[in-house]
Amino acid sequence: MKKKGLVYSTVLAVALSGILAGCGNGEKGSEDGDKTLSVWAMGGEGKLLSEMTAKFEEENPGLDVKVQAIPWDSAHDKLLTAVASGNGPDVLQLGTTWVSEFADAGALLDLTEHMEDHPEFDPKNYFEGAQSSMMYDDKVIGIPWYVETRTMYYRTDLLEEVGYSEPPATWDELKDAASKLSKSGDDVYGLDIDLNDQVTPLIFAWQNGFEFDAKNPNFSSPEFKGAMDYYTSYFKEGISSPAKGVDIVQAFKDGKKPIFFSGPWMINVLNDQAPDLEGKWAVATMPEKENNLSSIGGANFSVFHNSEMVDESLDFISYMNEVDTQLEWMETSNTLPSRVEAWQDPKLADNEMYATFGEQLESSQGAPQIKEWEKIVQELLASIERVISGGADVETELKGLDEKAKGMIK
Amino acid sequence: MLNQMLKTTMRNRHPYLFIAPALLILILFSLIPITIAFVISFTDLNLKGLADWSSINFIGLENYTTLLKDTVFHKAVFNTLFYVVIGVPLVIISSLGIALLINYGKNLIFTVFRAVYFMPAITNIIAVAVVWGFLYNTEYGLFNYVLSLVDVDKVPWLEQPVLAKLSLIVLAVWKGIGINMIIFLAALQGIPNSYYEAARIDGAKRWQVLVYITIPLLRYSIFFVTVTTLIGWLQFFEEPFIMTQGGPLDGTVSMALFIYQRGFQFSEFGYAAAGSFVLFIVIIIVTLLQFKLKKSDVDY
Amino acid sequence: MPSEKSKHTFERWVVTILLIIGGLIVSLPFIWMISSSFKPESEILQMPPTLFAENPTLDNYISLFTNMNFGIYLKNTLIIVALSFVGLFFNAMAGYGFAKYNFKGKDKIFYLVLATMMIPGQVTMIPVYLLLNEMGLINTMLGIVLPGLAAAFSIFLFRMFMATIPTDLIEAARLDGAGEFYIFFRLIMPISKPIFAVQGILTFIAAWNSFLWPLIIANDESLYTLSVGLSLLKGQYANNFALQMAGAAFMVIPIIIVFSLFQKYIVEGFTTSGLK
Repeated sequence: MKKKGLVYSTVLAVALSGILAGCGNGEKGSEDGDKTLSVWAMGGEGKLLSEMTAKFEEENPGLDVKVQAIPWDSAHDKLLTAVASGNGPDVLQLGTTWVSEFADAGALLDLTEHMEDHPEFDPKNYFEGAQSSMMYDDKVIGIPWYVETRTMYYRTDLLEEVGYSEPPATWDELKDAASKLSKSGDDVYGLDIDLNDQVTPLIFAWQNGFEFDAKNPNFSSPEFKGAMDYYTSYFKEGISSPAKGVDIVQAFKDGKKPIFFSGPWMINVLNDQAPDLEGKWAVATMPEKENNLSSIGGANFSVFHNSEMVDESLDFISYMNEVDTQLEWMETSNTLPSRVEAWQDPKLADNEMYATFGEQLESSQGAPQIKEWEKIVQELLASIERVISGGADVETELKGLDEKAKGMIK
Repeated sequence: MLNQMLKTTMRNRHPYLFIAPALLILILFSLIPITIAFVISFTDLNLKGLADWSSINFIGLENYTTLLKDTVFHKAVFNTLFYVVIGVPLVIISSLGIALLINYGKNLIFTVFRAVYFMPAITNIIAVAVVWGFLYNTEYGLFNYVLSLVDVDKVPWLEQPVLAKLSLIVLAVWKGIGINMIIFLAALQGIPNSYYEAARIDGAKRWQVLVYITIPLLRYSIFFVTVTTLIGWLQFFEEPFIMTQGGPLDGTVSMALFIYQRGFQFSEFGYAAAGSFVLFIVIIIVTLLQFKLKKSDVDY
Repeated sequence: MPSEKSKHTFERWVVTILLIIGGLIVSLPFIWMISSSFKPESEILQMPPTLFAENPTLDNYISLFTNMNFGIYLKNTLIIVALSFVGLFFNAMAGYGFAKYNFKGKDKIFYLVLATMMIPGQVTMIPVYLLLNEMGLINTMLGIVLPGLAAAFSIFLFRMFMATIPTDLIEAARLDGAGEFYIFFRLIMPISKPIFAVQGILTFIAAWNSFLWPLIIANDESLYTLSVGLSLLKGQYANNFALQMAGAAFMVIPIIIVFSLFQKYIVEGFTTSGLK
């Protein structure tokens, strides 16, 4: 019995010392009297960013940069509590799809008055598509840090077999190539379209001349409807599979899904997971209809609305967005620089794959910057699912979507 | 008078002292926040409101009326009931069954079994998604491969609404066995051996022992497992979240997933809170019902 | 007698074989998780999956440990585990209070306790954060642990089991002049070993995997836990599954150890405490 008591009191003692140690951990402040600039960055990028701050700290004596890495999956929750309590960082990385939501809530500082002091912030430095993510309600609320866009990944060898020594360059060619590939074997799907992807339907619509009108949602316009007819025809004709099937990398490797759309991260994924495939695949810019627009995404830097270190924050963002730092960052993190000038560097210009992405970035635009967009897209995806799996009529669905979108925007 | 009351309380202070620490924490970090959430359910609180409380408006019952008109919510309610009605009895029966089998022996191999059957409860969720995704895959999946050996056509496990619900139930039962099993195992130890010996002397058959001795003596833990499993399954979330995201055609969307997708993903906290309270009320009714039914039997 | 015995042996075989077949099916994803942690990334999503790595590698583990501030995360996780056991103790006390005393408002209070497990956690996340903020507990270990210290599930489970303890036993101890707390520590806790073992396992798992509150409360990576550290390895678009499986496999080892240590108490039963 005595032994039991000992165990419990040990547990208590350990626990109590834990509390004390824990309290000691909090509010460390800066030991040496330096000011601390707090930066939130996401996932692995957060980890890598903390390795890049040394030079900036050197140039700015008396300033410590503390990068806190936040997992992607829970970043939204973390940001919510920051907005609710005002306990935010000074600088934060924000994915472009979240910009309008947090800008609308007033969580991001208006940088308009600082634009002239920091030449790096000039919108002209960045791809046209990325510029739209800098603005919300006529205020500058973010500076593009890195970008991504979607291009077409394809198996050169398999396309060659069906008579395409060049990648399909138009909608018609894409359809033709994909349907020929589908017929070339059992369980082959010429073009892989991920039904859960939010940007593919929009990309097709843009290519068909669609422009979203936030004041008067126009999904039932001929441009959008034409794009949806084209999109859904791939499923109706069995060229694309609505089922999840295998992971795309393996399907690509096996030749079951020889064409798909994806972003720059896929280059590394393919090199790592399908090393045998080297030389048998390539990337190409999007096939065109009226144009060959693709979507642009990535991440911005913003300053949290109640930061007390605005000048230091701006200096930090300027430093990170210098062309040289951006190039260094590209090599560290494998993300693409947002500054157009950086693309003249041989590291990008002479790399065939990257150059394709560079070309596509010139012809890209961002999703509409309204905070309801995510919600509207979910409805759009649900409509598409009803058309493809439930046999619903495209026109009725799109008219219904217009009404829903109107209700959401109000 | 007050003095009198104070004296009584002092004399009966022990139960209060025992429950006080846990209760205080629950009040502070659960009950008060729930009350706040209840108030939120009558507002249009969104991200903007969170940043600037003066922009929050009381909108009365609007969130609730919108919810009742939402056809996806109707589907979610139906699906949740489907999950609960089929899944809950399955979990209870299979975890009790496995606990009884494992309780059969005490040597090393049974010790290993205890750990093995607990494994689903500690398997990483990504591993669960990948492996079950493979099992259920229509074209390459193991289940369809086995079926093809006996000339059965491809079954679209996750691509047809009713079948997808059943597939998710199987997955959830698999995941839910472990914890309930060890609770039953612990409860089985509480049955004194003398009961079994007496039954054996009376010449009772095995099934008679099970039905007339073991199960009645497990009633406390069966009640506990039923109540908590029902609460858990009414909040069915993780399985559709990782496997189907609610599809196909909202065929697997549950109430909890609906609340998450429609409320939290778009930061519409007022709407999410309203959805949560509808769910909350359903769970309270179901739970109280069980307590009332149980009451006539024994003091729980 | 011999026929009785052979029947018994036969039955034992049937049960064992049933359990082995079921056990294999049940543990398949677990085995896959462990074996995948030794696979190169190119093999991990292969269809059909390989049960054992064709080209086993330790790379995933190496990059796991080089990518994490392992020492700090482990320390924080252990502190949370230790503090959670204080919570376990509170829950046991509350369970006992509800099980073996009659007091005013008992039913109502108990329903309130149960109500706390009936609402999705996200609804209360922001209010809880704001409360902790008011209390000045942001960026402290206490703030991370406090919200999860009491759990209705655990209180309910303790109550259920302690209700089966014969009241005569407690009365007898009272007649001997034992105080209420003495009874709880010296009589109730020892004979409740099976349920303490179950709850100990569950508490350990929850604390060991704690993720959301450490992330939300911490304004500094020095308060991150192992789970938070692991989830940092996940990308926005591309996921390194092999690395994540290595992380998951690593995280599960201590759970298995704790399970094997505690599980013998689950089946030890009342017999050793002299109760029949």
